[in-house]
Amino acid sequence: MNRRRWNQLLLKYPFLFALILLAIAILVNAILQPTFFTRESLNNNMRVFLPLMILAVGQAVVMLGGGIDISVGGIVSIVNTILATQVGLQGSPQKMWLFVGLSLLAGLAAGTLNGFFVSVLRLQPIITTYATSFLFFGIALYILPNPGGGIPQAISGLYRNSTPLGIPLAIYVIVLILLGWYYLRHTRYGRYLYAVGGKAEAAYESGVPVVGIQFSTYIISGMMAAVAGIAMSMLTGSGNADIGSAMTLNSVTAVVIGGTAFSGGVGGIAGPIVGAMTLQMIMNIISFANIDTWWQTFVNALIIVIALALPGLLNLFQGRKK
Amino acid sequence: MLLSAQNIVKRYGGVVALSDGNLNVSSGEVVALVGANGSGKSTLSKIINGVVVLDGGQLLLDGAPAEFASPQAARKMGIATVFQELSLVPQMSIAENIWLTREPLHANGMVNHKEVLARTERLLKLFEGTFKTALTPDVSVNSLQPDEKQIIEILKAVSTDPRILILDEATASLDSRQVSRLFELVAEWKKAGKAIIFVSHRMEEIFRIADTYTVLRNGKTVGSGVIKEVTEKELVNLMIEQASVFSHARQNRLSARELAQKPVYLSVKDLTTDVLRGVNLEVHQGELLGLGGLMGQGQRELLRAIFGYIQYQGRINIQGREVFYRHPADAIKDGTAFVPGDRGKEGLLYIRSILENILLPSWKEFGVPLRMRKAHQSAAVVGKSLNLKMAGLDEPVSSLSGGNAQKVVIGKWLKRKPQLLLLDDPTKGVDVGTKAEFYKLLANLCDEGKTIIFYSSDDEELVGLCDRILVMHDGVIRTSLIDKMITKRNLVAASLGASEEEQHE
Repeated sequence: MNRRRWNQLLLKYPFLFALILLAIAILVNAILQPTFFTRESLNNNMRVFLPLMILAVGQAVVMLGGGIDISVGGIVSIVNTILATQVGLQGSPQKMWLFVGLSLLAGLAAGTLNGFFVSVLRLQPIITTYATSFLFFGIALYILPNPGGGIPQAISGLYRNSTPLGIPLAIYVIVLILLGWYYLRHTRYGRYLYAVGGKAEAAYESGVPVVGIQFSTYIISGMMAAVAGIAMSMLTGSGNADIGSAMTLNSVTAVVIGGTAFSGGVGGIAGPIVGAMTLQMIMNIISFANIDTWWQTFVNALIIVIALALPGLLNLFQGRKK
Repeated sequence: MLLSAQNIVKRYGGVVALSDGNLNVSSGEVVALVGANGSGKSTLSKIINGVVVLDGGQLLLDGAPAEFASPQAARKMGIATVFQELSLVPQMSIAENIWLTREPLHANGMVNHKEVLARTERLLKLFEGTFKTALTPDVSVNSLQPDEKQIIEILKAVSTDPRILILDEATASLDSRQVSRLFELVAEWKKAGKAIIFVSHRMEEIFRIADTYTVLRNGKTVGSGVIKEVTEKELVNLMIEQASVFSHARQNRLSARELAQKPVYLSVKDLTTDVLRGVNLEVHQGELLGLGGLMGQGQRELLRAIFGYIQYQGRINIQGREVFYRHPADAIKDGTAFVPGDRGKEGLLYIRSILENILLPSWKEFGVPLRMRKAHQSAAVVGKSLNLKMAGLDEPVSSLSGGNAQKVVIGKWLKRKPQLLLLDDPTKGVDVGTKAEFYKLLANLCDEGKTIIFYSSDDEELVGLCDRILVMHDGVIRTSLIDKMITKRNLVAASLGASEEEQHE
């Protein structure tokens, strides 16, 4: 009986699991780092967390529509190398904003490429975007073969130290994204997205433009990856073609612990945002506790495997009982 | 005339599904579209609602030629269909599903959720009191029962306010109260000037609701008229071929008396699954028992339950010994073999060689490491006994024709010398020549004393081959046909639930 109620709660609030994990992670963090709740350390943490949160939002939209985008890390790297090489440490703010615009266009182009392959040519999303990720990392390496370059300190400072009204800049960005999502999911587009992810054939029979919806999710994901790349560049202030490589798996993990199903049609983006936060808190713990960094990858993979296996395992145990 | 389908032709590859389909319906009229299995009913209704594009003939809407390239195009012209295969998104709510793509919007582009709920409430009121539990618009579809889903599907079609409504077996999962309510609504819609195309197998319903009828047989419209001027018997006669063309009738079939003398090989008592509702049967040694009836009445589940493929309740005895199979491997050990209907999915490894497919259940015989020469010889014997037409044992199964591929499925079990063969629509998509050989094979197996349970969607096959036919309906065995009772007419009548049965004609 108890398990049933728990299951129902999870169904209704898919990111409950992530919230509980987050609470635990915050607790452990607070113990390890007594200054955790000060304004400064809050801002420190949030600005580090923001790029992955943005990336997870894009990933969540794709996964809600029944797909997956393995190329987001590559897009982050492309954007980072463009900014680091073209703006430079001595660049002017105007130049910076010009290339920010160009970065967004790069994200749009990458998303269009993925969307075309997956929705129009109907190729397997996971294989296709895995392949394009190599393309994107290749381009990033071509732009910047060795780590270096960067953006003006004044501009990265803007990102790192702005706390309007005493609240970290990252919080504003997240609120803005959540508001946009709230609007989107209550439009027809939002309904279509859930319908396509839920059961594409039924959606098609009902007259939903399935191809268009799938296409659009990759464009959204490409754009969000570009924004994440911009945030990442402002956070680090420097260039590295490999910067995005660890972020892809993290974005998928964040979405999965955020309660968005791999099969699509269930979930939202609040969960993945919480998921991204949780994941990075866990990494904080690992680095604070002086544990080897490869544990990060291990924990990451473990979370995904558990999240994937859990429904099957639950069924197995319930079936046994019968 | 609101809609007129004239001389419709539709081919799927080499198979002609419709060669001369005709259907007329006026506004304020209910036309019943009837026909036996495979007569082309669903193809014709799919052409009218735009799911399938026709190869020949024409559709006239209000007297003007019309073409529907997609279901949406048909819907725009006022044609709505209640789909048999549900077109609902399980994760979404009732309200979201009904109004998908037609959501009322606020000026700012957001969905007017209040309006959606209010409209859904109004629609749900149409069937108020017929649900086991009251439904609310925000309940998600995957928590609904099959009958509730079907009603939501009906409401979704009605919500478009169509001029023509196609009800394709829409009553199949409804209970009698829900059917009555639906028919009251149909009467109202008629008054409002809607035309309704009612596709159903249930004779009683056809006579209750329809004004006119159109009968399809082998892809041709063979009769139409006013329902009041026709009897149930006349309709059934229209549905069946007068001169049977089945030329492979099995010789030395067993009479009821001969059967009774043979020992019982398999007996099944109160077999229940989520589809079957208490099946009882006995099969005698050496009997060729047919399972008939409309498609999807539980025939497949019965075979699968006997094979231990799905979970069941009830008792199964083999040669007087009670058995309980948890897994097909248990059934195989007891000498039972199963030939699935969907060869590609369940029966064969298409890209692997014929040899590997034939020997798949019997590799154990050939030791470690496998003695390949012996395996080759053994497979060759099977291939020869089946008269397999192939380039060689090492060719992939995908190089074989449908009929020869089906023989491989049987061959792999024959190697293990089964006592009971379960056949699930084995001749579907098999060419005529191979079918004849296949029938001969079945006859030989029975003569050797093997017991066979044979489900087929081809009524002629059943009538021509079986010692006895059990007609299934809605998860139970409704009628048993034996000796002279085995006629096409009786089989079709029993499938449709028509009341009278004749001895012979």
